[in-house]
Amino acid sequence: MDQIQYIGERIWPGNLGHFLIVLSFVASLFAAATFIMAQKRRDGEEFNSWKRMGNIGFAIHGVSILSAIGLLFFIMINQYYEYQYVNGHVSDDLQMRYIFSAFWEGQEGSFMLWMFWHVILGGVILWRADQWQAPVLAVISIIQLFLLSMILGVHIPFGEETIKIGSSPFLLLREVFDLPLFSKANYVELLQGQGLNIALQNYWMTIHPPTLFLGFAATSVPFAYAIAGLWSGTHKESMKAILPWALFTGGILGTGILMGAAWAYEALSFGGYWAWDPVENTSLVPWLILIAALHSNLIAKATGYSIKSTYLFYILTFIFVLYSTYLTRSGILGDSSAHAFTEMGLEAQLIFFIAFFLIGGLWLYFKNSKSIVVPEKEEATFSKEFWMFIGSLILIFSAVLITFTTSIPVYNVIGEIFGLEMNLSSPDDVVAHHNKYQIWIGVLIGILSGFAQFLRWKEFDFARRFSSLGKQIALTLAITIVCTVLTIRLLDYPSAPNILLVFAGYYAIFSNLDYIIFMIRGKMKIAGSAFSHIGFGLFVLGVIASGVNKSYLSSNPYAQRGLFEEFDYEKNVTLIKGLPMYMNDYKVTYLRDTFDGFHRYYHINFKELGDSSGTVQDEFDSYPSIIYDKNFKFASVNPSTKRYAQKDIFNHLAGAPEAELDPERAREIEDSLSYVFQEMAINRPITLTDTVKVDDARFPRFHQIQLLNVRRTGEHPEYLSQEGDLVFSADLEIQKYEADSTIRKQAMIVLRENLLFNFPAQINTMGWKAKLTEEFINRYFEIESNLSYRPFTLKEGQTARFSDYTIELAGFDRQPENPGYSALPNDIAIAAVLNIKDSEDNLICQLRPIYLVRNSQVYIIKDESFQHGFSAKFANVDPQAETFTVSLAEYDLEQLSFPVAIAQDSPRNDWIVLESIVFPGINLVWVGSILMMFGLFFSIWNRISRH
Amino acid sequence: MKKIHIIAIVIIIAAIAILLSATKDMGTYATFSEAESSGKIVKLVGELSKDKVIEYNPQVDPNYCSFHIKDADGQEKKVILLMEKPHDFERSEKVVLTGKMKGEEFVATSVLLKCPSKYQDEELFIRAES
Repeated sequence: MDQIQYIGERIWPGNLGHFLIVLSFVASLFAAATFIMAQKRRDGEEFNSWKRMGNIGFAIHGVSILSAIGLLFFIMINQYYEYQYVNGHVSDDLQMRYIFSAFWEGQEGSFMLWMFWHVILGGVILWRADQWQAPVLAVISIIQLFLLSMILGVHIPFGEETIKIGSSPFLLLREVFDLPLFSKANYVELLQGQGLNIALQNYWMTIHPPTLFLGFAATSVPFAYAIAGLWSGTHKESMKAILPWALFTGGILGTGILMGAAWAYEALSFGGYWAWDPVENTSLVPWLILIAALHSNLIAKATGYSIKSTYLFYILTFIFVLYSTYLTRSGILGDSSAHAFTEMGLEAQLIFFIAFFLIGGLWLYFKNSKSIVVPEKEEATFSKEFWMFIGSLILIFSAVLITFTTSIPVYNVIGEIFGLEMNLSSPDDVVAHHNKYQIWIGVLIGILSGFAQFLRWKEFDFARRFSSLGKQIALTLAITIVCTVLTIRLLDYPSAPNILLVFAGYYAIFSNLDYIIFMIRGKMKIAGSAFSHIGFGLFVLGVIASGVNKSYLSSNPYAQRGLFEEFDYEKNVTLIKGLPMYMNDYKVTYLRDTFDGFHRYYHINFKELGDSSGTVQDEFDSYPSIIYDKNFKFASVNPSTKRYAQKDIFNHLAGAPEAELDPERAREIEDSLSYVFQEMAINRPITLTDTVKVDDARFPRFHQIQLLNVRRTGEHPEYLSQEGDLVFSADLEIQKYEADSTIRKQAMIVLRENLLFNFPAQINTMGWKAKLTEEFINRYFEIESNLSYRPFTLKEGQTARFSDYTIELAGFDRQPENPGYSALPNDIAIAAVLNIKDSEDNLICQLRPIYLVRNSQVYIIKDESFQHGFSAKFANVDPQAETFTVSLAEYDLEQLSFPVAIAQDSPRNDWIVLESIVFPGINLVWVGSILMMFGLFFSIWNRISRH
Repeated sequence: MKKIHIIAIVIIIAAIAILLSATKDMGTYATFSEAESSGKIVKLVGELSKDKVIEYNPQVDPNYCSFHIKDADGQEKKVILLMEKPHDFERSEKVVLTGKMKGEEFVATSVLLKCPSKYQDEELFIRAES
């Protein structure tokens, strides 16, 4: 078959990219091998030369990975759409500030982000060049080897089939898809990019993934140190060396998870910061294990106990990061998670990845943990190490529980392998399921994190210790109990676990405050752990306040049917534009909707009313929105949250008219309407009949509609005028049956370069829709061509008779405005100001036809008033005689009519369904969790500055 | 035996007990007849009957949406969903409902849709004529 010579296809970045990835792969293999050799010969003379080779290998690996990332950015920024990754994530209209988001939107890019952080962290280890360098970098190089295999894109023939290893970001579109398009030599210039998912075009997508991936990458470091420690047998030193890295990892990973929670709360619609979604869970689990490892590590460093468990927990932390990657990227979660990447065929590779490190890590652990010296004496019952270790076990326990439920899809897959159709479903209410168990974890951790602070390492005489601390502990307990009792009264559901969690939260806060003030006497440098524990206490209180006392504002028990009492479903209310709705002490009005790019904002006013007097206590506006994709189809909703110090009011759109969500559906609805053409004369009402059903009888209702005016201008929120537009509009007045007032609406049609744009008038209170069509425009020109104009030659100020009227040339307007005229710089344009008066000298109307000289050509632009029935042209200027010729015509309003299409079955489009939730005390969640992370970072700073 | 070992054993026993209790929350996907015989809240997978009317009239009640579902056995029943009509409901391939039978109707409080994956159409890649 002949090869097509493609025009404009740029092959070099693809070749260079593949080369860089392969080079980087080979270099990491080389680095891993030489670092392993260096570690094996660590006491020999060859050590330094092996290590040097390893350094060179790692440097080449790092540089080529960074170059590949740079190259991918280059082809994305320059929109090389012939590349599949560029095509999938970039588009012409993508703003540059979202280029990072676009980069890590896809699997390949996010793997590269992960590797990027490994290179940076590896670089730090290389630069510090201590005794851990060779073994730690050996492990990191092996990890990089596996990650690189995910984007290697190598096809190995294997008998009949080919094995595909990884998916390269440097593939051409035509290598991925087989489309008839690629039979064209010039296909490149025909391509457009798909762009970044509009829901991801926000700053969270810029900051959340890099933080989370730094957290993921950072877990490799304690893991690598643990392996290095087991390998070299220098356990005391390794326990010391890991600790700062573990603190760093805990802080970063925690911050990454927290950002995800904040994003979910701010921009997603599930109404909360944590939904126990599989992807959230699998990023939380490694963090919990890491925090357990961190505490175990502290014990090991201080006492020599728990070294084995410290190693094991660090290994498990990394394994669970890999498990998380497997769950999110293998496609196993299917549609059950918001985060799941689409399948890329990496399942087998990821399983191999996990198996390698799990088996390798555990093998090394069991082989070498015998060399760990355990203190012979058992931990004392009231020693710090004893209770801290219990705390670590509880955190591990929490991780086990979460993983157990999150892995349900995995059980189904394993079942299938053995031919079992298990068909297991996750719990009916996942949130309730996890909360039910995790609440006890919170209680235990809260109490332990307060209590253990007062214990001492290797306690030998607790009775004496207790007698000196007893008063202090009693005081803390007393304050905690008082606060708990006061708080319980505020709880909507004061169940036993809820009460205990409040107690645990307060206890963590007060005992750690006590610790800072009386134990370490304000020595802030060592207060990192107390900060984190106070943070945990605040967090727990925030969870209880915002979770247990969460309430729906958007319910109106009087307006909703009470059929299903046993179900709590009153979550939404329908708001009609302009009509206030009362819900739970609030008067809520949907005022209007406005467009901003692909966002449609719904402007909703909230007034908090006083008890019965109806006085407004508080007022605010909220702007929840929906986001459209580039075809103006609904993409996602963005909530709008009113923030107070003590609570948040979270508003989100649960529904809007279908026609506003999907242009296709809008067309279907439009096509289904039964339009009838009505011949409408100016100022002559016609009667249209509706029937209304009362019981089983139908009663007619007579409504009137009339055409007030036909104009060549018009306004509509969705219409942006362009030069050359021909605009026609009809002013309509509707008198509803037995209504006191009339409704005025404007229907408009615009002719722009042979395309007709329709802006119909929707009359929501009646379910009517009126639109102008081509027939309307034709009629307009037909009427125009049948007019007979009568010329008048006048001087300024002169009058003349025109049938029963008097016309007066009142003056001139040198800056005329007219729908048919848009000014250009060198125009000479004058409008004649013509007053038309009736026989009693009353002014009926004023017309301003234009005489225009443009590029020495004369143009006549008429002016008209259908309302009054006149049309005028400014035909000539005689500068010598100072006379002006104007032509006038009168419409026969008795005879003339316009066709207007009216449908009486148009569904109303001025409503929205609102979900409005109050989250009391949610700021405690944020303040508490930020303080938790701050404590971790603070401790690193303290440890580093101490050395 | 060391105290720490005793505590570890206690925790392991507690873990097994709690995990066993956690399995009670898991279920298998039920059919209408199973939902009817158990009378409990179940998860049900089915397909939306696209030939039947989806009734949702937010001006009357924004928390009431009714439609018909065909379950795994091919049995079709009316479903009342006590919330707003989900976006893109008509295009769904599969529907997962949580709820219980009430008389002849299945009353659901939550819904999860499985929609067809993005259709790769050549049109998608070609620049619109400007």
